[in-house]
Amino acid sequence: MNAMTRFTVKSLRANRVRTLVTIAGVALAAALLCAVLTTYASLQSMLYQTEKSISGEWMAVAQSDDRTRLDSQIAYALEAGSIGKAATLQDAGFGELTPEQQRYHGPHLPIASFSGDIGTLCAVHPSEGRLPQEAGEIMLFETWSTSGDDTLEIGDTLTLPVGQRRAVLAPGREGTLSKVASPADWENYPDIGSDEGATQIEAGMLLDSSIGILDSALDGGPLNEELVDTEERTYTVVGFYDLSAYATSAASGMKAFTVDDPAAAGATKAFVTFNGAGSTAEIEKRAEESFPESSIELHTSMLRYMGILPNGGIRDTVVGIASVLAVVIIVACVSLIYNAFAISVAERSGQFGLLASVGASRRQLRRAVLIEAFSVALIGIPAGLLIGIGGCAVTFAALGPSLASIFGAAEVGFALTVPVWVLAIAAGLTLATVLFSVFVPAWRASRANVIDALRGKQNSRTSKRGAARAAKAADPAQLWKHRGLAGRAFGMGGLIARINGKRGTSRGTAASVSLALAIVLLMTAGSLSTFLGTLADVASSGNADGDVTISSAFLSEDDPRAARGSQGQGTEDALARANQGKGAPAAGSAELATPEAAMRAANTCFADEAATFERAYQDLSTVPGAEPLGWVLEGHVPAIVPESMIGDVFQGEGFGEGGRMADGRYASSASVTYVDDAAFDRYAQQHGADAASFHDPEHPRAIGIAKAYGNNGSVYELMDALRTTGTVDMIVGGTYEGTAVSGISIYADATASGLVYQLKPYILNGSGDGTRTDGASDADSSSGKELDLNEVELTTIALDIAMLVDETPSFVSMNGGQLRFIVPMSLAQSQGFGIDEPTFTATFDALQGHSADVSEDLVDRAGTFFHDETDYEVAYLGMQDRVVAAESNRMLATVINVFCLLFTIILALIALGNVFNTVTNGLILRRREFAVMRSVGLSNRQFRSMIMDECAAWCLRGLVPGIALSLGVSFLLWRSVTNSIAGLGFALPWGYVALAGGLTAATIAISVAYGMHRCKADNVVEALRMDSI
Amino acid sequence: MDILTVSNLTKVYGEGEAATRAIDDVSFTVAEGEFVAIVGSSGSGKSTLLHLIGGVDRPTSGTVLVNGVDVYHASDEQLAVFRRREVGLVYQFYNLVPVLNVVENMTLPVALDGRDVNEQRLAVLLSKLGLRGREGHLPNQLSGGQQQRVAIGRALMNAPAVVLADEPTGNLDTKNSCEIMQLLRDSNREMGQTMIVITHDEEIALAADRIIAIEDGRIVRDERIRR
Repeated sequence: MNAMTRFTVKSLRANRVRTLVTIAGVALAAALLCAVLTTYASLQSMLYQTEKSISGEWMAVAQSDDRTRLDSQIAYALEAGSIGKAATLQDAGFGELTPEQQRYHGPHLPIASFSGDIGTLCAVHPSEGRLPQEAGEIMLFETWSTSGDDTLEIGDTLTLPVGQRRAVLAPGREGTLSKVASPADWENYPDIGSDEGATQIEAGMLLDSSIGILDSALDGGPLNEELVDTEERTYTVVGFYDLSAYATSAASGMKAFTVDDPAAAGATKAFVTFNGAGSTAEIEKRAEESFPESSIELHTSMLRYMGILPNGGIRDTVVGIASVLAVVIIVACVSLIYNAFAISVAERSGQFGLLASVGASRRQLRRAVLIEAFSVALIGIPAGLLIGIGGCAVTFAALGPSLASIFGAAEVGFALTVPVWVLAIAAGLTLATVLFSVFVPAWRASRANVIDALRGKQNSRTSKRGAARAAKAADPAQLWKHRGLAGRAFGMGGLIARINGKRGTSRGTAASVSLALAIVLLMTAGSLSTFLGTLADVASSGNADGDVTISSAFLSEDDPRAARGSQGQGTEDALARANQGKGAPAAGSAELATPEAAMRAANTCFADEAATFERAYQDLSTVPGAEPLGWVLEGHVPAIVPESMIGDVFQGEGFGEGGRMADGRYASSASVTYVDDAAFDRYAQQHGADAASFHDPEHPRAIGIAKAYGNNGSVYELMDALRTTGTVDMIVGGTYEGTAVSGISIYADATASGLVYQLKPYILNGSGDGTRTDGASDADSSSGKELDLNEVELTTIALDIAMLVDETPSFVSMNGGQLRFIVPMSLAQSQGFGIDEPTFTATFDALQGHSADVSEDLVDRAGTFFHDETDYEVAYLGMQDRVVAAESNRMLATVINVFCLLFTIILALIALGNVFNTVTNGLILRRREFAVMRSVGLSNRQFRSMIMDECAAWCLRGLVPGIALSLGVSFLLWRSVTNSIAGLGFALPWGYVALAGGLTAATIAISVAYGMHRCKADNVVEALRMDSI
Repeated sequence: MDILTVSNLTKVYGEGEAATRAIDDVSFTVAEGEFVAIVGSSGSGKSTLLHLIGGVDRPTSGTVLVNGVDVYHASDEQLAVFRRREVGLVYQFYNLVPVLNVVENMTLPVALDGRDVNEQRLAVLLSKLGLRGREGHLPNQLSGGQQQRVAIGRALMNAPAVVLADEPTGNLDTKNSCEIMQLLRDSNREMGQTMIVITHDEEIALAADRIIAIEDGRIVRDERIRR
């Protein structure tokens, strides 16, 4: 150890606290960088593992028709080491399946003969049994062991005719079909419309397994296909697989795998890996060299996750986030470390002068500082790396499953991955940060003027302006008279502090800057997590109670879809229903000429559907494990709303569907929700209404939804639909020349004074379809004609909106931006408002963890009920498992919150460490000055008030710009969040403001207390003697 | 009349084996208006003695009475008040407050005491010290000799019971040294200011009325100079 090193180590020991804080800063920087990079590497590794588990390790695939040559090329390349591993896959015919087998296993059984390790290379793994090892053995898709009448087990034999697929012309058609071969990797086909990768298929051509089934009835093309050259073959089943391998096309059915199949013929694919390949170009080159004349495809997604392919959306995003975080961390750390070293050097400039005076060269002085930096880094960086990796391990252990499921890689899992490069980069960046931070102090140290240093001149800490001010303050009569606010508040101590502030060089600036930085960092982290939290909240808001919903609707009798549907299977049912006149009578048949009759018919029809759904709900309620919460029936009805009632959303440039008409009233399609009576009564009572008053069939009354969050197409916002209660005209139908109109659309005309809405009744060709209210676009697509409103007699029903509330019944989801009226189900018996094909939604709670089973049971039961117990044709039947959706939202929110929290904590530590360093050292550097003042009679109380006043001054100087800056940052963050949520007021994250304020105040208090303790602990005598050496 | 009474004053640094008696059972008195020089080699304990008298350090045992008041029988706050009213300290390295100008540095003890500045006394001191025209200068704009004169001005401003100067000329050239000593001598004569000066310069010591020699923390000689 030479003299300079020893000197450095001694000075580090002498300033133990500052050294520790600096080491802690370096460690935090290294930890943060390491954590960010580890997260990135782990994510990358997870994506890589996922890709590997889905599609295997192959990097390139070569396809050739010449199997023999391909095999010899593989053998040669393996020998030469130009490829790492190889596996081949070759079509070996297509098994012909019985109609029963086709129901479960697809149109044919494509058989592929493989060689090599397709498990690793192509992710073909048996879920049961094993891979075939000799000719005559076969591995089938798992449906063969589970579905159909004749399930197979391992050891069973499968005998079936096997042939080749050949394209044939469909009856009466001619031409060819351009069909894109289903590629192993879609990303190789960025321009799917181009001819590249497309095969022109013509009649007579043999089809390989990458070409999908040709069926002119389904795809509308000119070609069908047939199996030719079939011969009976027998295989022994040795295994089943359950995950469809991404590398093997399932276009023509789920493949079966064999080895050394004598029937193997046609195109062979060789899947290969390369050892030590560094770039895509290199892989491409090596693949082309190994397999000349074969077509080559690269496994781009795999290469991307391996880091070989540099670009790509996910990678860019992840790299982007990681770099932004890294930059923020480095800025924070540079300021911390720079301050620590700058102060350390400034404090010892006398020492440096002394060293220079005894012959230390500038280089030696610089080295002293650099050695100091390296010593700090030597302890700080390894400690930081350990902390970073440990922190990641803990975080990932807690969040791993959530993270994995967010990225859709649940089966792979999110595991901690720490490649060497992560450690190298984290350590390197931190070291660079440290060196950058000490560069200026080291340079300053080497420039220390020997004489100045020895005479203590460097301690002159007055500015030029300070000297000018001092010169003006020399009038004996005015001495100590200008007390100012500081003087009044803090007495003599405050007065000296004020003079110090005015005349001193910017010693306090470092403290102010670090303070401002602390505030900005804390508030930024706070705003980020507040706004991200809001985002997660809003995204998961509007979620209604209930774990599972079943929704369905019936086709109305004369819906063309009903007719089409009944052609195939239910012809008899439909006929029977039509003959008996049972079920829903057609609303607009010709004999129902009067509007009243049409309305009565529609109401009867609606009442019948409601009664049917009621029975369905009762039946569903008996499903084990399903606890019924309620059910609703919904439909849309054009409504005319007086101006006094309408909310903002329909006014001006509002986003509502509909708006102001020429007569000043407003037209919009209103959603009418019939809620089952029990739930409606609870809902009404909960909002203080007399539930009974809503059940009068003669005077329909509804509860209107005033405000709700909705999506206007680009952003979420709180939308104001209704302002007051009142009466709304519901347009339930209309007649035109004695015929019921098909529907009434709401249509906007652009005029000079803005959009003017009007009602447009229309009639579809050949049918009166009941009232269709789907809105403007529907009229355009129909082949009907628009009618003049004046020639149509509209039927309206006055609906009394008796009260307004801001929420729907708990199990009904909210959707803002529309008129929404809630009525009791009892009203369905008498009034259907002309709603056609109402949507039924029943909501159930399931036992915890059973929502998936329960929803399956419910949807099965509903299907059976509608099929067996009703005469209606089901337009659709669906279920929604809200538990799953809520769970994934919750996980996302947790992940966001935890990351924000960690980020905040670490930034806070850095920021506060910085404040501590600057404040403490700012005081310690002046301890001789304090000693002088105390020796001439500055009392402890005066000393304290002087320091307090100085604190207040630079707090103010740091807080004001810090808060201003962080307001700006918060505002920008808010702006970016409002890109997806509007109506979210700009609010400061008060919790974090308080936290930022509290933490900085606490840190300042601790720092000042520590600094003053150090100053006071000095014996005045010692401090005075401490001649800066 | 004795303005300063030091009795059995002992200051021990360190503990046990390493304990050093910097001041070992020292007793003496100083009369008002006396000019005392304390001489001794380096490490003899003369600076420690000065600090003990000046109330900036606490003794291990013994008492210091200034104007009949026991200095160390006081709280820290009272000690601070004692320092600003009863003692004027002059150091080898001036020890001025860098952000305060000449007059502010000189009047700092008065201001700390919350009293009004005696403008007349300030004016007299400024001209005596040769600092006229430099009232608004900051310490770093002054030469060493000038800085030391400011320090002396600060010590004299309050007309304290005793001015304690620790090697006041140690850092100055001969010419400046003479001037400073002359100033101290003059203020002693003209204002009757009691003065205790530490020095190892025999020639300077000869300017005093009385020389106390210290060796190893003990008074080895105490003699009056006859002029």
